[in-house]
Amino acid sequence: MSQFSQTNSGGIDYRRRQKVARLLQHLVILLGAAVLTIYALAPVTWLVSSSFQTEAEIVSVPPHWIPEEPTLQNFEAIFSATEEEEITYETRSGQDPASGGYIPSTAKNLIPSMWNSLIVASLVVVLNLLVGVPAAYALAKIRFWGRDASVYFILITRVIPDIALVVPFFLVIRKLGMLDSLGSLVLTYLAVTVPFSVFILVQYFEGLPDELDKAARVDGCSRFQALLRVFLPLSLPSLVAVVLFTFLTSWNEFLLALMFTQTEASQTLPIVLAAFTSDFTISFSFINAAGVLAIVPPVIVAVVFERYIVSGLTAGAVKG
Amino acid sequence: MRHLFGYEERSAALFLAPVMLVLMGVAVFPIFYSLYISFFRIKLTRPNRTPFVGLDNYTDLFTNELFWVSVVRTVTFSVVSVTAIAVIALLISLLLNQNFRGRRVLSTILLVPWAIPYVANALMWKWIYDSGYGALNGVLYQLDFIDKYMIWLGDQDKTIFLIANAFVWKEVPLAAILLLVSLKSIPSDLYQAARVDGAGVWQRFIHVTLPAMKPGFMLVMIYETMMAIRHFDLFFILTEGGPGDASHVLSWHIYVETFRNLSFGSGAAMSYVLALVTFALSYVFIRTLGRRI
Repeated sequence: MSQFSQTNSGGIDYRRRQKVARLLQHLVILLGAAVLTIYALAPVTWLVSSSFQTEAEIVSVPPHWIPEEPTLQNFEAIFSATEEEEITYETRSGQDPASGGYIPSTAKNLIPSMWNSLIVASLVVVLNLLVGVPAAYALAKIRFWGRDASVYFILITRVIPDIALVVPFFLVIRKLGMLDSLGSLVLTYLAVTVPFSVFILVQYFEGLPDELDKAARVDGCSRFQALLRVFLPLSLPSLVAVVLFTFLTSWNEFLLALMFTQTEASQTLPIVLAAFTSDFTISFSFINAAGVLAIVPPVIVAVVFERYIVSGLTAGAVKG
Repeated sequence: MRHLFGYEERSAALFLAPVMLVLMGVAVFPIFYSLYISFFRIKLTRPNRTPFVGLDNYTDLFTNELFWVSVVRTVTFSVVSVTAIAVIALLISLLLNQNFRGRRVLSTILLVPWAIPYVANALMWKWIYDSGYGALNGVLYQLDFIDKYMIWLGDQDKTIFLIANAFVWKEVPLAAILLLVSLKSIPSDLYQAARVDGAGVWQRFIHVTLPAMKPGFMLVMIYETMMAIRHFDLFFILTEGGPGDASHVLSWHIYVETFRNLSFGSGAAMSYVLALVTFALSYVFIRTLGRRI
């Protein structure tokens, strides 16, 4: 650390200076790590904390950072809300006389919407693998005329803004009579997931040696068999990355779902969640509980599969 | 070069057919159909009369005052966001490039904002910014920075910056991860050489680290700019373009025109302008990535 040697050039010997520099470095790292942890986690922690507060406690001024009487009532309200017994102002106020009822009648849609999200995401994942894997194999391992053009074509489709697709999608889907169906979401989500999936897979396949392909072909495998028996087992990490990204993108997608869904038959979690936030009569404690439910699955996925996600993100990225 | 439609071409075509079919259907066809629509006056409130109007939707657009307001808002939002993302992500990537215990835990923590759905991110910040009971007022009040609760999202001068903050919080992890790759790819002998030449920490950062990161930095910035100018979710949930037109960005303008005024022709024209700007921006992005695979 040269600044140090300049300011302390006199009596302190080299080793001691090194020690001070090392200490200073540790201090900066510690401070940085602390700031980063707070930056990334504090907002979420506050959301989680307030989802365990009663409707009365959540309006404290200044706020209670830790719930004084932690309660599960917000989550219970979500899980017990069913078609038969709608939780309304009247039925709710009996339980919590202090604040009356702030549970919306749409609360019962929350759990079904999570199923919708799950179904859509799963189908999109499967379709991504089905179309992405063979394409990536061809682009990475077959030297054919038009390969570069195909690569650029897929990259261009990757940068099309989703909002530019909304109008044409809407008109076509309406004409097909597919508005308010899960199918419309599955189809349109392919536009925002497939290009990136192919991209990750191509990068990975290119890293596998060409000799594998040749060896398999010499042994009498067809191209398809070579892909299935040789490359697929080796490319597991990239397949996991594709599954994760596609799943998270579909689970989190909002704009297209907002345009094409109308009822609980097809509404995904983000849509139901967004409807809560625009209703001023709903307590924030309830909205926050719903928000926590939306956050938990993707965060668990991200934390558990951290390694795959980081390698997938960086595969598609910036190697200088 | 092999024969134009030799064995390789035929088998490649077979493998590529599904993906091409899908992308033709969900990307190429819609984008051209959108161009076609933008030449008509299509109002869903008047389904039987959809006259061809040529470029009228585009000329109307450029003479519309609110459109230019939305352009200014979008540019403000994007410049503020992307600058903040660049600075914060650079700091984080420098931190994660150090070797210390707990580094992996830290990079896992960093993935939390990235994984959270935008809608949940939006409702979280809406609650934090809440002028009555939110955490922002709470923290500032308890630390004595303010002596009474303030209005945040409802204050025109602050709105766009507060939304940008929510956007930055969610986008920073990805940018940091990508910059970290670019940091790690700097050969260590460059640093050794600089050290031998007597360069200090700061000089090594300026003369070795930053220039070596430039290509990676460019890609990240272009990518984040593309994300910022099309961003919709936060504006929908936090402010609906308000207060007044303080957060009336282009994507919100398109949404209002298309789905509230039910004017699909002009909505398509607007989104086409956005798509063209994106394509222009993405030129470098596509060239660089395309050369790599």
